[in-house]
Amino acid sequence: MSKATSSPATDASGDRAVLRTDGVTKRFGGLTAVDDVDIEIHRGEIVGLIGPNGAGKSTLFNCITGTLTPDEGRVYLQGEDVTDWPEHKIARAGLGRMFQETRIFGDMTVRKNLLLAAQEGGADVSSLMRRPDSSLLARTDELLDYVDLGGLAETRAGRMSFGQQKLLEFAMELMSEPEILLMDEPAGGINPSMLGNLIEYIRNANEEQESTIFLIEHNMDFVMDIADRIYVLAHGERIANGTPEEIQNDQRVLDAYLGRE
Amino acid sequence: MSTTEEESDGALRSILPPKQVDWFINVCDHYGWALLLVGALVGASFPVLGLEGGYYMTVLTEMYLFAILALSWDIVGGQTGYPSFGNMAFFGIGAYATAILTKDFALAFPTAFLLAGLLAVSFAGLIGIIVLRLRGHYFAIATLGVLLVAQQVSRILDITGGSSGKILLETPTAETFYYLFLGLLVVEIGLVYYISGTRFGFVLNAIRDDEEKATAMGFNTTYYKTAAWMLAGLFTGFAGAAYSLFNTFIDPQTAYNGAWNVELIAMALLGGSGTVAGPVLGAFGLHTIIELVETYAVGWQLVLLGGAVIVTVIGFPNGVVGTLSEYASQMDYYKHGGMAATDTDDGAEVSADE
Amino acid sequence: MAATQFVVNGLLVGALFAAVAVGFALIWGVVDIINLAHGEMVMLGGYTSYWVLKLGTGTAESSVLLFLASIPVAIGLLFVVGYLLQRTLVSRVIGTDVFLTLLVTFGASIAIQQLAIRAWTANPRSIQVRFAEQSMALGGIVVPKMKLIAFAGALALTVAMYVFLQKTRTGRAIRAVSQNPEAAALVGIDVEHTRAVTFGVSSAIAGGIGAFIAVILNIQPQMGLIYTLKSFIIVVFGGVGSIPGALIGGLLLGSVEELVSGFISSQWTLAVSFSLLIVLLVVKPKGLFGEGAEQ
Repeated sequence: MSKATSSPATDASGDRAVLRTDGVTKRFGGLTAVDDVDIEIHRGEIVGLIGPNGAGKSTLFNCITGTLTPDEGRVYLQGEDVTDWPEHKIARAGLGRMFQETRIFGDMTVRKNLLLAAQEGGADVSSLMRRPDSSLLARTDELLDYVDLGGLAETRAGRMSFGQQKLLEFAMELMSEPEILLMDEPAGGINPSMLGNLIEYIRNANEEQESTIFLIEHNMDFVMDIADRIYVLAHGERIANGTPEEIQNDQRVLDAYLGRE
Repeated sequence: MSTTEEESDGALRSILPPKQVDWFINVCDHYGWALLLVGALVGASFPVLGLEGGYYMTVLTEMYLFAILALSWDIVGGQTGYPSFGNMAFFGIGAYATAILTKDFALAFPTAFLLAGLLAVSFAGLIGIIVLRLRGHYFAIATLGVLLVAQQVSRILDITGGSSGKILLETPTAETFYYLFLGLLVVEIGLVYYISGTRFGFVLNAIRDDEEKATAMGFNTTYYKTAAWMLAGLFTGFAGAAYSLFNTFIDPQTAYNGAWNVELIAMALLGGSGTVAGPVLGAFGLHTIIELVETYAVGWQLVLLGGAVIVTVIGFPNGVVGTLSEYASQMDYYKHGGMAATDTDDGAEVSADE
Repeated sequence: MAATQFVVNGLLVGALFAAVAVGFALIWGVVDIINLAHGEMVMLGGYTSYWVLKLGTGTAESSVLLFLASIPVAIGLLFVVGYLLQRTLVSRVIGTDVFLTLLVTFGASIAIQQLAIRAWTANPRSIQVRFAEQSMALGGIVVPKMKLIAFAGALALTVAMYVFLQKTRTGRAIRAVSQNPEAAALVGIDVEHTRAVTFGVSSAIAGGIGAFIAVILNIQPQMGLIYTLKSFIIVVFGGVGSIPGALIGGLLLGSVEELVSGFISSQWTLAVSFSLLIVLLVVKPKGLFGEGAEQ
């Protein structure tokens, strides 16, 4: 916690946090991609993660989701130590993830994509062997209408445009209602008007359903606009933490982006 | 899309309007159970109507057999995206199991049949845990290797009769096998059809489309892959278990037939892999052709098979059913204002809606 | 002592496996295709040499020089076969699903194999090469002269290919295409032709080795798949894209097989080497000599 330029407005016990990392470190060969990073995210927060290319943002995400196992440090999800859990178990425990490159199941229909995301009934084979019930189907229609994809339920998802796929991926996360959603550059590659919609959807989810969101973003206007709080990584280290205003005026952050050591 | 493709698409459109194809596919989908029942009844009625044991009954029985094998292959290869070159290993194990159990242990055929299925599933579970960790080239070759090793082992062991194999004389009637294979096929089609509408079926498709994403969504993919693999092993094993007695003879070459393995892949692809009806229709179609070649040009059927595989893959990778449903779904997409092929159009459209 | 003898036998045969595998690895590395018809090239090479001798001299028995003279014919013919295989079939599925590429080459494998059975029957054949003394003893170890010649021939072919890739213009084009086909096309390399040449070269070497195999073992229309599988084992062992790795992998595989057949039974060689492969794939998927896991 010594590197924090301003500490989060909560007590340090941290177990009320939805997500907490404690000294997470990941090395590849001689390179330390993530160096002793502490992060704490509370219910209902939208938190941004920024930093220059190669700062270790995606690696940190991968350590949290269980795609990679950190060399040192722990990851806590709702107070539970999930560091050594397999990826699918962490996801099942309430961690949702949207990838940088939009990832949906292209050869399946839009509706099947959504049904898959629903968490009801768990994940064991026997409960998956039942046909989806009508309330689940109604929920998919509702969500598709919400993100303006109504009527495309039976279309093969891969046929849709890139922007529509992004909306589908977001709708899938709404369907699964994770405790915390990790988004890797949600604004990347989509046009301004679509971005406007996405911001609105994210805000709505945050305000109405108390969704907790942790996002990596390069689009500064977007992240400053949407985030309650921002962490900054450079060379794998957490160099700043604070509100968007604080971050914009932080000398270390400016230096990091301008390439000064 | 090249212009020539679009032109031929246009010509096709006038002969075969996508709307009607769409309607046809919807009807098939909607009345799937009824169609299956009708098919089963028609199949079951042939012997009653006077089809007797002999050439035609054998050909039909073999068609059912290949349909079972192709559909089983497709559960893993088409639905789950793990195309195996070694499915015939389960077939061989099933085949040898009944041969040995009925001949050397004097078990009744039904008992031997069930035990053979059980053995094939256990083997599938064991092998699956190892090979399903591999992908792409590695998975394909590893499964091929499993097949070749299983074949080699049956050549060495005494109980399998070595390379000369086993002759089985006390066998049930041709009619029994006809109904057995038909019954197995109907059960399997029903099961696969049911699964394809459940979330278990969706998970398998998800693994095919993007396994990492499926994991990130909380699915332990190894578990589902292995379940699908064992299901394929069960039906392939049952098919083999019945085949050895049906054929009255089994040796390493017929039990672990690598060419058959390619044949059933070709059937699944030709009909449309990843669908329920595709592999079955493909099996019926290709087996008819191979049977004709076998009758009129003895000895050339495998040459033809190699050629057929190449032509299918190069010219028709989505298969008949796949091509048709893709063609039909174009309609669906355009109907609902999904014209937006580019992001710009798309964004404009979405904002206009608000 | 027995073990040493087995290892020596294994190294002698292993060089042949290695040379076949080097070609297989070349196609894998450059075109990113597993050529399941690669073993058929070995088979066709063996038959070419067999028929050249049989039709030329009326008998499949020959002197060493005559036999060696038949090898360039096998190499040349198989170059053409490989070139055409790529140009007519494989080029159509490059860049599509991995599975489709496997299926096309598997289809080609079955068709070639079955045509060979139609043409030459399924009976095994071999070429007899006469020597005054069939083998020589070196410090208590028996070395058949023909195996020694085959060993030298396999090494020569492997080295020739290595030099070809490193020193010639075409070789450099092949390496360029393997690294980045788009960039290679931009600097004026005919990518399709280069890929076809890659197929040709690797098939040519397989064909040359086939001739040696016709002498020291035997040839049969259905022998191909085993050689394809052995090549795969060797390449996985040595690491994709590593010629020295493939060489070591081949020598090791030969030794393991000879040891298994010497101490257990020749019938178990396939099962044992394949089980080793599975273990290796699960434990170290990049091969012993391949580049380390990237992250």
